[in-house]
Amino acid sequence: MTSPSLATSRNGEGRHILHCLEQVMGTVVTIDIYSEDGEASDQIYLQVARAREILQRADAVFSTWKANSPMSRLRRGEITSEQSPPEVTEVLAECAKARQISRGWFDPWAMPGGVDPTGYVKGWAAQRALAALAATEISGAIVNAAGDIASFGAMEHSQAFRIGIVDPFSPSRLACVVELTGAIATSGTSERGSHLIDPYSCRPTARVASASVSGPDLGLADALATAVAVAGETGLRLVEALDDYEALIIGFDGTIRWTEHFPLVSP
Amino acid sequence: MRRAPVVIGATVVGLIGVLTFHTKSAPITLGSLSGASATQGSTTTTTTGPSAGDNSSGASSPPKSGSSTGTSTAPSTNTASSPSTTRSATGAAVDYHYGILSVSVTASGKRITKVGIGTLNDGGNFRSQSIDQQSIPILEQQAVQAQSANIQGVSGASYTSAGFEQSLQSALGKLGL
Repeated sequence: MTSPSLATSRNGEGRHILHCLEQVMGTVVTIDIYSEDGEASDQIYLQVARAREILQRADAVFSTWKANSPMSRLRRGEITSEQSPPEVTEVLAECAKARQISRGWFDPWAMPGGVDPTGYVKGWAAQRALAALAATEISGAIVNAAGDIASFGAMEHSQAFRIGIVDPFSPSRLACVVELTGAIATSGTSERGSHLIDPYSCRPTARVASASVSGPDLGLADALATAVAVAGETGLRLVEALDDYEALIIGFDGTIRWTEHFPLVSP
Repeated sequence: MRRAPVVIGATVVGLIGVLTFHTKSAPITLGSLSGASATQGSTTTTTTGPSAGDNSSGASSPPKSGSSTGTSTAPSTNTASSPSTTRSATGAAVDYHYGILSVSVTASGKRITKVGIGTLNDGGNFRSQSIDQQSIPILEQQAVQAQSANIQGVSGASYTSAGFEQSLQSALGKLGL
């Protein structure tokens, strides 16, 4: 399974040398690589293959849909976290950190059916996959896990990546565009409202239609986006107080608000 | 807006390439149905979902997915006629906010051999493609992305999986699976 599923050279803005799709985690993850010099080297192909393996491995370990995944078995109490693969301990430790940082608004332990780190894992896995893309000729790369995006670098001539945020009221349109440095995750009722659980009431809740969080790490950004979607304004202020992370919310009345340094290009 | 159909068309072609490239397909695990169901109560019509599977399956239970909430009518039900156990069914058409899709399932005995998009109508372009579930988020992303030149990605909601699973459940119900 080393061959990339799809590789195309594209013209247009930037020097986009590789576009690859990986079916994983119940969705498609895309990997895009940009380079100053023309073509993807063997080294890049190998690194992309490694990135895809990382995604598949994360799915195999953490899927709560696969009855025999270590995560499912842990949830049923068949194994302890010590008996689980090492990633499980790592992810649960990171989730505990994210819970603390979000003051409990992100809480995998408050999910119905037992601990469920799904809200962290997709971002975490994409961030790890991105880390595999380290060839020196890569000027920038994007790993997009169905709208949760990890990136580094930029396009040709240091032109920053631009990412659109979907309008939750008209999902085929964009509400705004951000200039990306690092990661961005978006959570909202439009996506899967019934899955947003308020850890304080243990009920499905969302206080805004959409919450996006940008920052250096997609795992934490993903967790914080979930937290802000549930907490609303309170969540926005919470992120404002964090170093390195920024947030934007779109209220049910359509009002858009964001933290001071959110990398908005056009409102 | 003008660009969208072209881009999507190209994407579909690309995806078919991808999907044929993947040697083992079997994208759906039955286990993945569980968490689905309860989604937007918004969409109106609730037409009894899987019309009691008359055709195909012959025996066994017609366990209908209790959850086909926001669905609208169940259209086609093409049965892969004769050869003993291979059957197929198309699930209820589900409005998934980007258009309307229905899922087709082919089964041999109790085993699902193929899951794909039966119909996909995303605004005038009525298509019937053997693309599978996971291409849809990409179609969505491409559709959105096509409207704004010069962006490299889209962050935000994906409606499809819920709609997909609704339709899938009704198709499975028709097949008695």
